[in-house]
Amino acid sequence: MEKRHIATRFALTLVAVAVLLPLLLTAVYSLCAPSEIKEYMGTRGNYNQDQFMEIKLAPKQFSLSQFYKILVEDEAVLRLFCNSALYTVLVLLGQAVVIPAMAYALSRFRFPGRDALFFGIIMLMLLPFQVTMVPNVLTLKKLGLMNTIWAVILPNCFTPFYIFLLRQYMLGLPKEILEAGEIDGAGTFRCFFHIVLPVCKPIIGCAVALSFADCWNMVEQPLTYLAQNADKMPLSVMFNQFSASPTGTEFAGATLYILPALFVYLYFQKDILDGIQLSELK
Amino acid sequence: MFDRKRSALPFLLPGLIGLFVFYVIPFFGGMYYSFTDGSYQNAFVWFDNYRAVWQNPMFRLGLKNTMFFSAVCTPLVWVLAFLVAMLLNRIKPRGAFFRNSVILPYFMPSCAILLIWLVLFDYGGPINRFLTDIGVDRVSWLDGSAMRVPVILLFVWKNLGLAIVIFLAAMQSVPEPYYEYARLEGAGFFRQAWYVTLPMIVPSAFLVFILCWINSFKIFKEVYFISGAYPDQSVYTLQNYMNNMFEDLNYQKVTTAAYIFAAIVFLIFGVIYFIQKRLQKRLG
Repeated sequence: MEKRHIATRFALTLVAVAVLLPLLLTAVYSLCAPSEIKEYMGTRGNYNQDQFMEIKLAPKQFSLSQFYKILVEDEAVLRLFCNSALYTVLVLLGQAVVIPAMAYALSRFRFPGRDALFFGIIMLMLLPFQVTMVPNVLTLKKLGLMNTIWAVILPNCFTPFYIFLLRQYMLGLPKEILEAGEIDGAGTFRCFFHIVLPVCKPIIGCAVALSFADCWNMVEQPLTYLAQNADKMPLSVMFNQFSASPTGTEFAGATLYILPALFVYLYFQKDILDGIQLSELK
Repeated sequence: MFDRKRSALPFLLPGLIGLFVFYVIPFFGGMYYSFTDGSYQNAFVWFDNYRAVWQNPMFRLGLKNTMFFSAVCTPLVWVLAFLVAMLLNRIKPRGAFFRNSVILPYFMPSCAILLIWLVLFDYGGPINRFLTDIGVDRVSWLDGSAMRVPVILLFVWKNLGLAIVIFLAAMQSVPEPYYEYARLEGAGFFRQAWYVTLPMIVPSAFLVFILCWINSFKIFKEVYFISGAYPDQSVYTLQNYMNNMFEDLNYQKVTTAAYIFAAIVFLIFGVIYFIQKRLQKRLG
């Protein structure tokens, strides 16, 4: 029976429009001339009862000069963007070394203290950043890493949530595939690299996308760990300063920052749904 | 399941070292700071720090606001995500565009959206224009306690996606005939949601609830974006307090505040866990 679900579709359209509007507007505004945006942003903060800001849905004149400015003329934004990219890549690499292996050990091995370890990881996962940053800082101080890029990267490589996510997925793998590997004479390493990792592709893709989103939007960590090193800040922290002193190019910066995230999402969208659906998240 | 004990070690080692070095050891080691006064002799002061932090008005303000934000945001995200997931589930396997567009924001950097937020919520901005059009007074969203609204909405906008993904995954396990039966019995959308879907996805629903809560404890970004490092009293979060203490290099206060907050968090999750166990027993 083919149903049309008019009401459902209507409600979903409303939700989708509300959700996408900020993204679309950012993209549209990035195509305005810098002077136009500067003027428009200048009309903010007007407390006159009779006046409103105009509602801008399209540029007066289509222009790419915002992008030209931040990409070619002035390298400040681009440098911060590269910082963000550097942190994200290094954190993801670190997590790639640590997290799948740990999830494998926690889901496929029997060793003393395993359940206690997993319990500890869950507890760590529950703790908010305000709490975990204190031990992080104590260690970073001891190692002399405060205000270096490693302060932002190293603690992030061990995010407990992804260990939990991968472990739950690996628990659900049928044990026959590993037994088959063992019968064929594969050791634990071979099973890991040739059986478990390929089978876990959806959840790994999902975790990569989630972790990318976290790193790309990182604010708290650089703000506390890099407080004395403004050159090393990622772009995510600096938007708030752009808004304080409008240069007319901030929307191009925002669009530039959204694009990689958009590609990551589009690339991994199937993995995100499959990965979550196939893991035993209970 | 591998039984050879030693062979787990190479897989565990990198993670274990990191977790111990950056989290476990300093977490317990740091307790020493919270019991000393940080002076030259570094005298042992028992619970003086705890008393001082607990009575500090800024700590209380931060704690209160953080609790307020999580108490509003968690149910809001949970309910909205559940409803949207229900709608998406109805029209599956079609509706990929809707699905993608509601999940997308979770993967977007909210820092880049901030600028639009400042425009939308400006005193003369589109939202106030809409309010005037429907005959309501304008609100000055970016000052005082009204600032909580854009902060909360930015958080909800961003965090809806993951909750929807988890709900959608769980709803796959609800057999279609159940809905048809419910429809035959005359149950509308909300009754179906409440009596058919929800009881079948309790574990995932709890997971979403807890993940939302964890995330909403961290609310700070949104505040920082909208009102800078020294925000108005009504949006001053615990993270602001911690950051200020860090700037003063006051490790005694910072560690103490962290342990107090950790205790509160564990207490809350303990209660939630207990409720979940009870509920599952009743349903099972």
